Amino acid sequence: MIYKLIQALDKMIGFDQADAHCDIPCGIYDPSTAQIAALTVVRMMDLMAELEAKGGNKDVSYQNSMARYVAVKEEHAELAKQEIRVIWGDYIKAQHLEKHAGLHDLVHKIMQLGSKSRQTADRETGVQFVAAINQFAEIFWDTKGIATKRAKAPYAPALEMVYPNL
Amino acid sequence: MFRIIKVTGESLSPTYQEGDYVVVTTIPFFLARIKAGDVIIFNHVSYGKMIKKVSTVSAGGGEFVVVGSHENSVDSRNFGTIPAESVEGKVIWHITGPRQ
Repeated sequence: MIYKLIQALDKMIGFDQADAHCDIPCGIYDPSTAQIAALTVVRMMDLMAELEAKGGNKDVSYQNSMARYVAVKEEHAELAKQEIRVIWGDYIKAQHLEKHAGLHDLVHKIMQLGSKSRQTADRETGVQFVAAINQFAEIFWDTKGIATKRAKAPYAPALEMVYPNL
Repeated sequence: MFRIIKVTGESLSPTYQEGDYVVVTTIPFFLARIKAGDVIIFNHVSYGKMIKKVSTVSAGGGEFVVVGSHENSVDSRNFGTIPAESVEGKVIWHITGPRQ
């Protein structure tokens, strides 16, 4: 009765809202998006190197392909950084940091490697980016009490990835 | 003095759920006496107006550790303590919506 009265008043007046903030959808965190995005960065670096190695004219077709590879590399490096930032900022809690004391440093390293992967076409940097995010994924799954395994991705560039044992 | 505020989000569920309303007092007398267990409305620089339960009050009463009841609540575990100046009101009446 009172609720319906207040609700009717709300429709007429529009009360302020206070957020009992909880990330929506609640509890859905997964580092796999970041891992795949980082892998895509290395794949784009490989495609860029292959295109360059072909030689020939740097014609419009070449420039178009190269521009597309660079654009996807940019996008996915930033996506990986964003995904890690969200998990780190919203999911990771004090008790996780107690167990994994180096997590802040690892996240900072991922941010730096992500930026460097955008700035350069250095494959080794991209590989380090993937490796650091894999390390983050191992910690993430450990906070869930879920064991992980390492296996090569079943697609190029076939780098070693961390997968949860679900 | 008194305000009605609608709750959004689920971090205080199951007690406070999306769509519930709360009546809050903004009277300084009551705000100066906030204690652990009280539910408060405050403004956060990034998250805006929030509702959370007070877990701990600092010795001088100038800062509050706030928590939600949900595992994934975004609260003091993420953004630290809340200064007393950010507190807008204290919940004095909870009007629950229909429960399924």
